[in-house]
Amino acid sequence: MRPVIQTRAITKTFGSNGTAVHALRGIDLEVEPGEFLALIGPSGSGKSTLMAILGCLDRPTSGTYTLDGEEVQGLSGSELAAIRNRKIGFVFQAYNLLPKASVLRNVELPLLYGGVGRKERRERALHLLEQVGIPEKAFKLPGELSGGQKQRVSIARSLAAGPAILLADEPTGALDSKTGAEILELFGHLNAAGNTVILVTHDLGIAAQARRRVELSDGLVSLSEATA
Amino acid sequence: MSRGILRERILESWAEIRENLGRATLQSLGVMLGVASVLGGFSITDSFRQRSEQLYVKLGGLDKLTVQNSPVASEGKPTALRAANLGLRQEDCDDTARVNPEEVQGVSMVKGLRARVRSAFADQERSVSGVGGDYLAMEGYEVAQGRALSTQDLAAAAPVVLLGSQAAQTFFPSGNAVGSTLRVGDTPVQVVGVLHERFFRFSKVEGRHNMFWRQNRLIAVPSSLVQRRLQGDVHARLDRITYRLPKIDAMPAFTQALKGILKPNHRLEEDFRLDDVQARIRKRDNNGDAYNIIFMLSGVLALLGGGLVNVNIQLAGLKERVREVGIKMAIGAPGSEIFKGFMTEALLLTALGGMVGLLIGIAFSWVITYILGVPLAMSLASFLWAYFMAAVFGFLFALYPAWKASKLSPMEALHYE
Repeated sequence: MRPVIQTRAITKTFGSNGTAVHALRGIDLEVEPGEFLALIGPSGSGKSTLMAILGCLDRPTSGTYTLDGEEVQGLSGSELAAIRNRKIGFVFQAYNLLPKASVLRNVELPLLYGGVGRKERRERALHLLEQVGIPEKAFKLPGELSGGQKQRVSIARSLAAGPAILLADEPTGALDSKTGAEILELFGHLNAAGNTVILVTHDLGIAAQARRRVELSDGLVSLSEATA
Repeated sequence: MSRGILRERILESWAEIRENLGRATLQSLGVMLGVASVLGGFSITDSFRQRSEQLYVKLGGLDKLTVQNSPVASEGKPTALRAANLGLRQEDCDDTARVNPEEVQGVSMVKGLRARVRSAFADQERSVSGVGGDYLAMEGYEVAQGRALSTQDLAAAAPVVLLGSQAAQTFFPSGNAVGSTLRVGDTPVQVVGVLHERFFRFSKVEGRHNMFWRQNRLIAVPSSLVQRRLQGDVHARLDRITYRLPKIDAMPAFTQALKGILKPNHRLEEDFRLDDVQARIRKRDNNGDAYNIIFMLSGVLALLGGGLVNVNIQLAGLKERVREVGIKMAIGAPGSEIFKGFMTEALLLTALGGMVGLLIGIAFSWVITYILGVPLAMSLASFLWAYFMAAVFGFLFALYPAWKASKLSPMEALHYE
């Protein structure tokens, strides 16, 4: 099967010659469709940088990155925006919902940018809210929801465009352990339904939920192993 | 992009404006004042223009050319030739009557004097107009009782007089003016007709005076009577000659021809003045245009100042919204979409501010014209100009903040605190 993510010798350097920081120093990574992968490493290991590149929020300094069959390292800003819209679903630690927009509108937004018509947008967003278990919150504002509910909204939003990968950055970092466990369980279900999930975390306990662990240190992949 | 995304942008912008009403009002203040000042300024010049147009029409039309005596010397001593000249004479009138008869539809002449005018009821020092030619028709008078001055009256210097309504009222308060005798100086003249009262005022407000009160004081006798009997002037001098030319295009050629006849008559001295009503209006219109430019300039300055303030506010506001931009970019909004979003908001604000500005402008023009006693005239063009300028400036000043927002890096925007 064709890997959904394939990176070759990706490097990322911040700053110029004298004060350059080499955040990534040659990452080779392949992710198969349907995988549930945990990207772990201490802070400063480069995992946030890698996540930004995998999420097409940033471009590598060198190396190639193929996402779902498309080479993305040379694309322009608006082409990257289109890739993010169609192929990547983000879930953030801080939820990153638009506070002034209703839950429904937050979930609809990627579809709006993707050019989906109004009626279909609404139907799909409502369906997604049902999938993540909070259909009754559709017309609330994010501020009226609990942390766990907000994270569910953000997961619904990430699924909206039917992405190739779900990229979750410490999705349980701001939640209590019980709610965090529920969210992880939801990711488990989504993965079982065929979604490729990449979990970025520093918490080994959470990483244990995934089926493969990739560990980063000093900008290099130091370990890649299947979890028991 | 799909249909409906514009609608979404407008809805979102509207929500944003509503949530930050204070900031939005401040942002559109410049637009409001600019629009109000352009509209108000234009409307005030329009009102004055309309007023004088109405006045000229009421005074008997715009298609007149008047020749008057001009002061003997503007500075220094008059030349000997000039001093020897007699001014406008009946001869000038007769000579020029031959010029272009098919275009000239009327000629009138006036020789005035001040005299004691007496009846059984009043004895006053008044201006008496010696009139000739088609005077009554060209000045817009109509006879109410009796008859007008006939050609025989004019030719024979008949001792007859026409009275304006006020003059008739003064000298014959009991109302039987026609047929009565009036003394002008020592000469008895018979009243043959009384003219309709002329009335015109701009404001409907009571208490504004009749702009034609002077016309109603008319005491008109044949000009020949003044020249021959009242003044005994063998040169038959005149104060002014007026020509009516319905074809405005014929005016310049006619003016030249007139000068060609009058100058030789006046020893090649230009001691007369040609006064073309149309030219006067053109000049006044040019003045109006100058005012319009001034008003537009002040509007532009208001829009400019407001626009700069607006840019500042928008840039400050952008700081609060960096994260929002980052989120939108992360879920797939391209820079162009962010740009359009900010532009939509700024333009919507301009549109709304512009409408408020139009209302302020209407109120402003109404108050000013009311105070000045001029009827308010507003043209569609003023509205369009004011709105158009606001739109242009709103657009220009929205570009930079919107561009800046669209150029944010999604990664940095997302982690902006």
